[in-house]
Amino acid sequence: MKLEMRGLTRRFGSFTANDHIDLTIEPGEIHCLLGENGAGKSTLMNMLYGLLEPTEGEILVDGEPADFDTPGDAIAAGIGMVHQHFMLVPVFTVAENVMLGREQTRGLGILDRGKAAELVRELSTRYKLAVDPTALVENLPVGVQQRVEIIKALANEAKVLILDEPTAVLTPQEIDELMDIMRALKKQGTSIVFITHKLREVKAVGDKITVIRRGKVVGTASPDAPEAELAEMMVGRAVNLTVGKEPPKVGKPVLEVNGVTVVDDRGTTVVRDVSFDARGGEVLGIAGVQGNGQTELIKSLLGIIRPDAGKVLLEGQDISRHGPKDSLEAGIGYIPEDRAHDGYVSSFSVRENLVLDLYRRNDFSRGAALKLDAIEKNAKARIEEFDIRTENMNSSLASLSGGNQQKVVVAREFSRPLKVLIASQPTRGVDVGSIEFIHKRIIEERDRGTAVIIVSTELDEIYALSDRIAVMYDGRIVGTVTPDIPREQIGLLMAGAHDGHETQAHETQGGAA
Amino acid sequence: MKRTARSAAALVGVAALTLAACGDREESSTGSSDPSPSESASSSEPAQSNPDFKACIVSDSGGFDDKSFNQTSYAGLQNAADKLGIETGEVESNAPSEFADNIDAMVQEDCNSITTVGFLLGDATLAAAKKNPKIDFSIVDFAYEKAPQNLKGLVFNTAEPSFLAGYLAAGTSESGIVGTLGGAQIPSVTAFMDGFQLGIEKYNEDEGTDVQLIGWDKETQKGTFTNDFESKTKGQSAASEMITQGADIIFPVAGPAGLGALQAVQDADVKAIWVDTDGCVSAAEYCDVLLTSVMKGMDVAVEEAITASLDGNFSSELYTGTLENGGVGLAPYNELEGEIPAELDAKVQELKQQIIDGELKVQ
Amino acid sequence: MSDVSVQEPAKSPPPERKGEAREEGNRWAAYLPTIKTTVAAVVLALLIGALLIIFSTPRVIESLKYFFSYPWDFFKFAGIAVWDGYTALVKGSVGSWNSIERTLERAAPLICAGLGVSLAFRSGLFNIGAQGQMLAGAIAAGYVGFHFDFPPGLHLLLAAVAAIAAGAVWGGIAGWLKAATGAHEVISTIMLNYVARFLMIYLLGKELFQRPNSNDRLSPPPAESATFPQVFGVHTGVLLAFLAALGVWWLLERSTTGFEMRAVGANPSAAATAGMHVQRTYFLAMALAGALAGLAAVMQILGQQDSLTENVAGTVGFDAITVALLGRATTLGPVLGGLLFGALSSGGLAMQAAAGVPPELAQVLQALIVLFVAAPALVRGVLRVKAEGDGGTVLAKGWGG
Repeated sequence: MKLEMRGLTRRFGSFTANDHIDLTIEPGEIHCLLGENGAGKSTLMNMLYGLLEPTEGEILVDGEPADFDTPGDAIAAGIGMVHQHFMLVPVFTVAENVMLGREQTRGLGILDRGKAAELVRELSTRYKLAVDPTALVENLPVGVQQRVEIIKALANEAKVLILDEPTAVLTPQEIDELMDIMRALKKQGTSIVFITHKLREVKAVGDKITVIRRGKVVGTASPDAPEAELAEMMVGRAVNLTVGKEPPKVGKPVLEVNGVTVVDDRGTTVVRDVSFDARGGEVLGIAGVQGNGQTELIKSLLGIIRPDAGKVLLEGQDISRHGPKDSLEAGIGYIPEDRAHDGYVSSFSVRENLVLDLYRRNDFSRGAALKLDAIEKNAKARIEEFDIRTENMNSSLASLSGGNQQKVVVAREFSRPLKVLIASQPTRGVDVGSIEFIHKRIIEERDRGTAVIIVSTELDEIYALSDRIAVMYDGRIVGTVTPDIPREQIGLLMAGAHDGHETQAHETQGGAA
Repeated sequence: MKRTARSAAALVGVAALTLAACGDREESSTGSSDPSPSESASSSEPAQSNPDFKACIVSDSGGFDDKSFNQTSYAGLQNAADKLGIETGEVESNAPSEFADNIDAMVQEDCNSITTVGFLLGDATLAAAKKNPKIDFSIVDFAYEKAPQNLKGLVFNTAEPSFLAGYLAAGTSESGIVGTLGGAQIPSVTAFMDGFQLGIEKYNEDEGTDVQLIGWDKETQKGTFTNDFESKTKGQSAASEMITQGADIIFPVAGPAGLGALQAVQDADVKAIWVDTDGCVSAAEYCDVLLTSVMKGMDVAVEEAITASLDGNFSSELYTGTLENGGVGLAPYNELEGEIPAELDAKVQELKQQIIDGELKVQ
Repeated sequence: MSDVSVQEPAKSPPPERKGEAREEGNRWAAYLPTIKTTVAAVVLALLIGALLIIFSTPRVIESLKYFFSYPWDFFKFAGIAVWDGYTALVKGSVGSWNSIERTLERAAPLICAGLGVSLAFRSGLFNIGAQGQMLAGAIAAGYVGFHFDFPPGLHLLLAAVAAIAAGAVWGGIAGWLKAATGAHEVISTIMLNYVARFLMIYLLGKELFQRPNSNDRLSPPPAESATFPQVFGVHTGVLLAFLAALGVWWLLERSTTGFEMRAVGANPSAAATAGMHVQRTYFLAMALAGALAGLAAVMQILGQQDSLTENVAGTVGFDAITVALLGRATTLGPVLGGLLFGALSSGGLAMQAAAGVPPELAQVLQALIVLFVAAPALVRGVLRVKAEGDGGTVLAKGWGG
C-alpha cells in the first residue's frame, strides 16, 4: 500500500502545527520521521490516524483520496498505530487485548478466546514477535507490551504501521529486538513510519528519512548521512553532540547513602540495601533498565517515600526521616523522572512553576503573602537565562514543548544554591537542542562543587555526563564502574549478568514471551 | 418531578389543540388584554363579579400540586374565584428563606386577601400582617396565641373524623391489624393518628374485640414516619412492611409520600383510608382500595376566609374545622360502599352525631 | 505557542518582552470566548423559555384553536405573554430597589456556599457537602442566636463565629477523612449531608430547639441582637459575602497557602515533590469550604432571620455546586453565578406573582441556562459561533480534575 500526504496542514488557533506537509510512504519501506519534540510529528500522525482533522490538504491511499474521520476509518484503510503510551487493558490477557473491539464470538455471544489466541500465535510466528497469548498484559515487560500493540495492529491487517517514539520506553536490548522486528515486518511487505528523534536508531533501520522542523518538512536524507548533518537539519543549526567537560575536581562525600531499603505498597522489596557516596564536584550516574528500583531509590533520597531501612546522610546529617520540604530546604535539587507527573503543574503558568518549590523562601513570600514582583522578576531572569521558549511568563506549562517544560524544571532547581543535585532522566523526551543545553548546565553545576546524581536509562546520557557509573539491577547496585568501559559491559550489568541466579530471573521474565 | 408535571400537561394540551387548530374563537376571549393570565380559566359564569378584589395565596415548599394541603387550600381560592368573580394571584415557595419575599410579592401585587399555607409560614405571615394592616391574612394549619386584627388562623380538629375512620377501620379489618404511618412527627400529622387510634380503641371497647394498631402509639408518641412528604418510595416501603406484618387497612398521613403507601396497598390487595381530601377525587387511580378519606376542609375554610374578607366581616378569630361546622369529615365510601355493613355505618353516623352534640370528646 | 522569532533561537530575546500591555490584553482575550459563550447560553435559554411561556399560557393555547381563522391572536397573545413574563423577570430581579434587595439577599448565601465549593475544587476536591455544612452552620447560628442573651453586636458576632466554626468542622471531617484514610470526599460529604439533615430533624424534635409550647418542628427565630442590621432594606450580612469573595481571591491568588491549594488541586504528586503537605492541604481546603458554607447559613439565619426548620437551607447547598460550576472554578465566577441565580430566583418570583407564569418555568429557565453554559459546544453549534482555540473545553478539563 502506498500512502501519500499532500499539503497536509493543521492549525490550532493561530498556531500552525503542520504546514503543508508532503510525504510519501512507499510499500515495504521503513520511513523515518525525524524531528525534535514539538516539531509536529505527532500531529501529523494523528491526522493520518483519524484522530485530528486536517485544516487543509489530503491523504491518498494508493492514489485514491481518503477521508479519515475516526481511527476506525484509518484502521479499515490498513493503517495501524502504536502509541507512545500503550492502549492496553492491563488486566486482560494478550489474546483478549488483541481481540478488543473486534470480538469473535461462538454464537450466543460467547467470546471465542481460542480463536483469538490462535491468531496471536500465528501472527507472532509469522513476524517473529515472541508473545504468550495467555499472559496477562500487566505482568509483561514494557518491550513485550509493545509487541502486543504491534500484534494488535497486525491483527487488523495493517499495511502501514506507525510507531510513535517506540524506543523511548525500551532498554538497549529491547531496542535491538524491536529493530529486528521492524526488519522482519518490512520483509513481509509492511511499511513502517518510524517516529523518533534518536539519530542512532534512524541510521540503524531507516530506508528513507524525512526531517520535520517547526511543522514543516525541512528535507529528506538517506540513512548513511552523518549524524551531525541530520542533527543540524533537525535543530536548524549545528549541534554539539558530545558534552564538553573538564576532568572533575572531586571533593569530599556530600551525600552518603547507607543500606537503604524500600518496600513498596505491595510488599515487594524494590530497593535492597543500597549504599553509595555522592561526592562534591563529581557526576555519579545511576544506570539501569527502568523498573529496577532507581525510581524508588531517588524518591527515598528526597523523602517522598521513607526508606524502610538504612540512612541517608547529607553532610553528615541524617535526612532519611525528612520529608521533601526539609530535604529541599537542606540543599537538595531534584529533577524528577516523570516531569509531567511530579515536576510541574501543567495548568500553572511558567512564572508559578518557576517557584513551585521556592515560594516558601523569604525571597518569594512575606508571611502568608506571595511577593508577586519578586516571582515575576525571577521568571524573567530564568526565562532569559535558560532560554525557555514561551509566549510569555503567564503561559501555562501545558502550552510549552516537552523540552521547554523540562527547562522550566531545571531552571527552578538550579535557581538556588545546591549541595546535591538529583536528576532523573533529565533529558527524556527533550529535543536535541535542549539536551545539549541541559547537559551543559548540569556540568556547570558539577564544576561549582555540587554533588550530582544522574539517573538515566539511556546509556548515551550516562556516558556523556558521568564521572562514575553505578549500575542498578533488581533493587541493588550491582557494580560501580568508570565511563571508559565499553557499552556492552554495562549492558550486561544492566541485564543482571554479573550473577547467574539473577540472570535467570530476568530470562524467565522475558521468556514468558 | 412534580414541578414538570404541569408544564408537561400544558405541552400535551398544546399538541392536542394544534391538531384541532381550526375552530372558531369564543367571543369572550377577544378584546381582553388583561395582563393576568393566571386568572381563573373557568368557563362557567361566576355568580358575582368583583374584579376589584384580589385574593392571593402562598404555598409552602410542597407546591400547589402536592395532592395535599397546598393543593386543597389552593382549591379553596379557586372556588372563591369561581363564585365571587374575584382576581387571584399565587406564588409557590421553594425554601423557607423565600417565605417573607413571597408574601411581600403578593402584597406588591395589591392583593386584598392573602392566604398562606402551613405552619412554617407562621412567622412570615405574622410579620407581613403587622406591616400591612389593610390586607386580610389567613394561614392554614397555624394558630396564633394573639393574632392582630387582620390575621386569621385556620386549624382543623382532624382527630374527630380520624376517630370515625379508626372505628370504621377496626370494624372492617379482617386480620385484626390496621396500620398507620406519618410523613413527619409534627402535630398536624399526629393529630390524625391519635384520633385514629382512639377510634380503634372505642371499637374494641364496644365490641369486645382486640384490633391492633401498628405504626403509632399515642401514649409513647412513637411510630412509623417517612420523614419525607415527597418520597413515594419511602411511603411504599413503610406500608409494605405493615402489610407483611398482617395489616389489612393502612392509614397514611404523609401527603404525596402516602401515594406510595396506596400503591403498596393496591399491590397487596388490601385497603386504605386517605387523608386531607377525598382520595377518590384527588388520587382516583386508587379509589378501588379506599374505604373512605378523612377530609380536612381546607378549601372550605380558605374560601370562607376570602368571602368574609370580601364581605367586610373578616375577623381574627381562630377558625377550627370540626365535624359540627363541616370543616372536617369523612368522605363517601365510594366504590367500597357495598363492603361496609349497614350496622357499622349506622354506628359511625351515631358516633359522629355524638361528637357533634358534644356527648363524645375525642382527645 | 507560536514562537515568531525562530531564525536564531539561541540568541533571540524571549518574546514575552514585547510588552506587558499585550500580555494584559491577551489575558482578557482569553476570557472572551468564555464570556461570549456564557452570554449566548443565557440568550438561548431565554429563547427556549419564551416558547415555554407561550405554550403554558392558557390564553395563547385557546387562540391556537382558531389559529387559521385569526392567526394574529396567537401572535399577539404569545407576544404579550412573553413580554409580561420577561419584563416581570427583569423588574423582579433588578427593576426596583426592592427587587435588587431581594436579588442580593438571595444571592448572598449562594455566593458564600459557591465559593466554598469552588475553593475545594481548586484544591482538587469535589465538595458535594455544602448543604450539610450549611445545616451544621445553621444549627449553630440558630442555637446561639435564639438560646443566649448577649448584647447586640457581640451576640451577632458569636452566633456568626459559631456557624462558621460548625461549618468548618463539618467540612473538616470530610477533609480529615480524605487526608487520613483516603476516603473519597464525594461519598463522605454526601453522607455527611444526610447526617446533618437528620441531626437537624432530631434536634427540632427536642424541646431545646422547639418554640415554647409548640410541637412543631420549628425553632424560635434568632434574637434581634443576633441579627444583621438592615441598611436600605438589605441586611448588612450581604457585604460579608462580597468580602468573603475578596478573601478567597486573595487566599488563592496571592497567598502561599492558596498557591499550595491550587498546586495540590492541579497536580498532587508534583505538589508533594515540591515539598507541599498534600494531606494537610486537603484538610484545610475542606475546612475552609465548610466555613464558607457556614457563612452561607449565617446569611440565612442571622441575615434573613429564618427560624430553623428541616428545610432551612433550601437547595442552596446544591445550587452552590451549580454556581461554582457556572463560575468555572474561578473566584469571580461564583459571585457572578450567585448573582445570576439570585436574580433568576427573585425575578422568577415576580414572573409568578405579576405575570402568572408557572413557578416551574423560572426554575426550568435556570436549569436551561446552566445546561447551556455547561455545554459550550452545544451553544456554539446552535448559534454557529466558530470555536476559538480550545477555550470551550476549559470547563470539561477543569472539572475532570
